Amino acid sequence: MHIPDGFIAPQMYLPAYGVAAGFWAYGARRLRTALREEIIPRLAVLTAFCFVVMMVMVPLPGGTSAHATGIALLAIVFGVWTAFVSVSLVLLLQALLFGAGGVTSLALNALAMGLVGSAVARTSYLLLRRFHQGFALVAAGWLSVNVSALLIALALGVQPVIAHAEDGQPLFFPFGLSVTLPAVMIPHALIGIGEGVLTLLMFRLLSQRGWVARR
Amino acid sequence: MRARIALLAYLAAIVLGTTVHEIEVLALGLVLVLALAGRDWVRILRRACIAILLFNLVVTLSYGVIAGLQGTFSLAFVVLVNLRVLLLTCLTFLFVSRVNAFEALAFSRSLTYLFTLAYSQSMAFKQALEDFRLAFKSRRIEQVGLRDRYRHSASMAVHFLDKSLHRATEITQVMRSRGFFDA
Repeated sequence: MHIPDGFIAPQMYLPAYGVAAGFWAYGARRLRTALREEIIPRLAVLTAFCFVVMMVMVPLPGGTSAHATGIALLAIVFGVWTAFVSVSLVLLLQALLFGAGGVTSLALNALAMGLVGSAVARTSYLLLRRFHQGFALVAAGWLSVNVSALLIALALGVQPVIAHAEDGQPLFFPFGLSVTLPAVMIPHALIGIGEGVLTLLMFRLLSQRGWVARR
Repeated sequence: MRARIALLAYLAAIVLGTTVHEIEVLALGLVLVLALAGRDWVRILRRACIAILLFNLVVTLSYGVIAGLQGTFSLAFVVLVNLRVLLLTCLTFLFVSRVNAFEALAFSRSLTYLFTLAYSQSMAFKQALEDFRLAFKSRRIEQVGLRDRYRHSASMAVHFLDKSLHRATEITQVMRSRGFFDA
């Protein structure tokens, strides 16, 4: 669901960097207090896991891509702020090494996927696990993907409105919300199921390895 | 310090690349970036083209169909958006090939450590993923069913986690023995 480089106007990505910078600073401070020796390697492993999962991208009509993220798993195991910083690192690595996503869209991708996606996943998991842990994990995965995708679709869809030439031609992303919302959301409704199942299976695996408590 | 300055110059060039909407200026910028790449210009241009090909093709074709039907198609927009994306991607690859990104981004010791460790793990995962894919491909003589594909993926996931935890723990012990956690 990454937004590639060059499709977001500076009127949007520069303020997004301003907002993200504050959250990154706060997240880094939270991360420093949370980092213990045994946490660092585990966090690095799950960050790398997210990296690999996000590398398997399927392009969608309308200019974005679809893939699982592993973000819900990070948020549930380590918390929202740690997940946010880790996902931001993954996005940075992908942008620098592979040109996937991009530097101009990094802040927007990080806020949508890393911060909001993590917060939605963690909150929904905590609310739903009292009823059924398996369902809570699947729901957290589905919601994290779809809420993030909704934000990405909105960000892309407003580009023709906020950045266009005098003759009305778009300067960045050319499609409005009537194209981006269905083009992004319909595939992600299905991908979210995969993300949910992935979250459930990986959580069970981590439980078996003693990384997380089963309840 | 030099890496930080290069990072700032790179970011300034990126912002500049998104505030200019003249095709000629962007084309000139691309030529300049490729000239700065020196003998690597073909490699960087090739990498950038491969990285952006799928997405830009999808956007361009979708735009061609939709704008064509609406009668608003503009070739200038197609050239502008593709040129800009190519320029930004070439700039990024040039930056990464010339500057130590780890040094440029070393704002915090813990974050740098996490970044380095996550990077090394990611590269190991990526290589292992490719090895597994090739091994799986070379050992089948007929089409593999969905169930077997899922089982193969699950086995890979377990392998990745166990091996990486082991390696990451080893690295942590190395860092501890060198006094990283004492400060």
